[in-house]
Amino acid sequence: MIGSILFIAQKYFLCYNVLHMITLKSVTKKYSADSMGLNGIDLHIEPGEFVSIVGQSGTGKTTMVKLLIAEEKATSGVIEIGGWDITRISDSDVPLLRRQIGVIFQDFKLLPKKTVAENVAFALEVAGEKRARIRQVVPRVLDIVGLNHKLDRYPHQLSGGEQQRVAMARSLVHRPKILLADEPTGNLDSINTQEIIDILKKINEFGTTILLVTHNREVVNQLKRRVITLHGGRIISDEDKGKYRL
Amino acid sequence: MLSGFFRIIKFSFQEMVRNMSLSIMTVLILILMLLSINTLMVVKVLTDESVTAVKKQIDVSIYFNPEATPTEIQEIRDYVSAFPEVEQETFFTSDEVFANFKKNYNDNADVLSSLDEISQNPLGPTLIIKTRDPKDYSKIITALSVPEYENIIEAKTFGDTQVAIDRIHVITTNVQKFTYFLTILFAVIAFIIIFNTIRVAIYTQRTEIGIKRLVGATSWFIRGPYLVESLLFSIISVGLTYLLVDFFLKFLDPYMSVIFEKNNLLSNYLSQNLVSIIGIEFAVVFLLTIISSGLAMRRYLRT
Repeated sequence: MIGSILFIAQKYFLCYNVLHMITLKSVTKKYSADSMGLNGIDLHIEPGEFVSIVGQSGTGKTTMVKLLIAEEKATSGVIEIGGWDITRISDSDVPLLRRQIGVIFQDFKLLPKKTVAENVAFALEVAGEKRARIRQVVPRVLDIVGLNHKLDRYPHQLSGGEQQRVAMARSLVHRPKILLADEPTGNLDSINTQEIIDILKKINEFGTTILLVTHNREVVNQLKRRVITLHGGRIISDEDKGKYRL
Repeated sequence: MLSGFFRIIKFSFQEMVRNMSLSIMTVLILILMLLSINTLMVVKVLTDESVTAVKKQIDVSIYFNPEATPTEIQEIRDYVSAFPEVEQETFFTSDEVFANFKKNYNDNADVLSSLDEISQNPLGPTLIIKTRDPKDYSKIITALSVPEYENIIEAKTFGDTQVAIDRIHVITTNVQKFTYFLTILFAVIAFIIIFNTIRVAIYTQRTEIGIKRLVGATSWFIRGPYLVESLLFSIISVGLTYLLVDFFLKFLDPYMSVIFEKNNLLSNYLSQNLVSIIGIEFAVVFLLTIISSGLAMRRYLRT
């Protein structure tokens, strides 16, 4: 009884206060006997950090993102977010977790038949937010990413950089404590890449923990933040002010 | 909570509109299935009514020998009346039978000239017996088929009407079997179509579903629109079927009134049993749509 109360209290507490800290203990993800996503990863990320995760294709970067949003489950090991063990998270708790973590992808994942404002509002609609609050929040978030003048545009009427900014606005609309960015600049030119990185830095300054999965050497080197390098599903380097070394 | 519920309804309407052709197909098949169920109902009403009408016309005619004495006839009448199964017995004297016969063959010159040639009444008295239940007629006939009455009773008739009842039962049983078959066939087709409608909807919206999950939509929020869609299919198909059935029954009723001498026979049956008919049909359709869409979601919408 006390255990379950503590568990609920912990989740509540996580949602509103300390959902910053990420800990992976001996995490392994096997897809098959000869296909290993991650192999015994130990990792600790403090609240408010800006961490770049680099590595060649197939080294487990995206697997790590999928494990952190509970899209996949680890074969062994423990994953904790803000002290909440999500390794064996139940299906009913997954939505709760995902409302606390913002995610953006290389392919933006926007709904083509919805406008910019509707795409951002969608994240609040599925969470059951009231219409009045949605009307209030959406323009504000779009203002942060510099798109408040394109509320009624459709994704196909925007550039790649703008589409990624809409995706960022959508991921921020829940005010997440952690933002996972999986190759967010992979489809963008250097100017748009810089815009996205600047926004990520700005978000980080507000206290949000950022995990940036990237191949982009210039971005990593310019950030001068913590860099974790993966190879063959293992961490081969972890530097506080690292560089892209592959 | 309430806003989430309204959003689910909104999304399900969007779904139906986006997959308009499939939605129409699903509703059409459900209507066909419901029409076949309603045909069963109409067949049942008409069968019951036909059997009642035929049963009303059933009686046993006891034709007495013209030479039978009034005492003998009275003895048989008393004997028959004593049966609790007998509802009514009507006696016609020889003269009444003769008069009726002539009346019936009034336009048949051959029969009338034959009677003139005989120049006397060849017909004996007749006793018409009605029982409470047609199956009791055989009991009466058996009771009268004894040697001591052989010289008094010339003939007993009953067989033809039993054949009519049997024939009605055979025809209606076959019609019912065929309609049952049609109902099951339409139910299977409806099941497959609804299953595919939901499957196609899930497939065409896999990006949207993925994004819903990504931003933290609950399982209910993702599945809700499909369940509401099933409910909407049920409501629309039951509603449209009611309108069609009501129209057809009103069209059929004038013809039925000629046969059964009752006005608005079918429409009255529908209005008197409206709640149970609509309730059962809605339950059948909703169960069918819920099971098929549930299976489709279980198969293609894993969390």
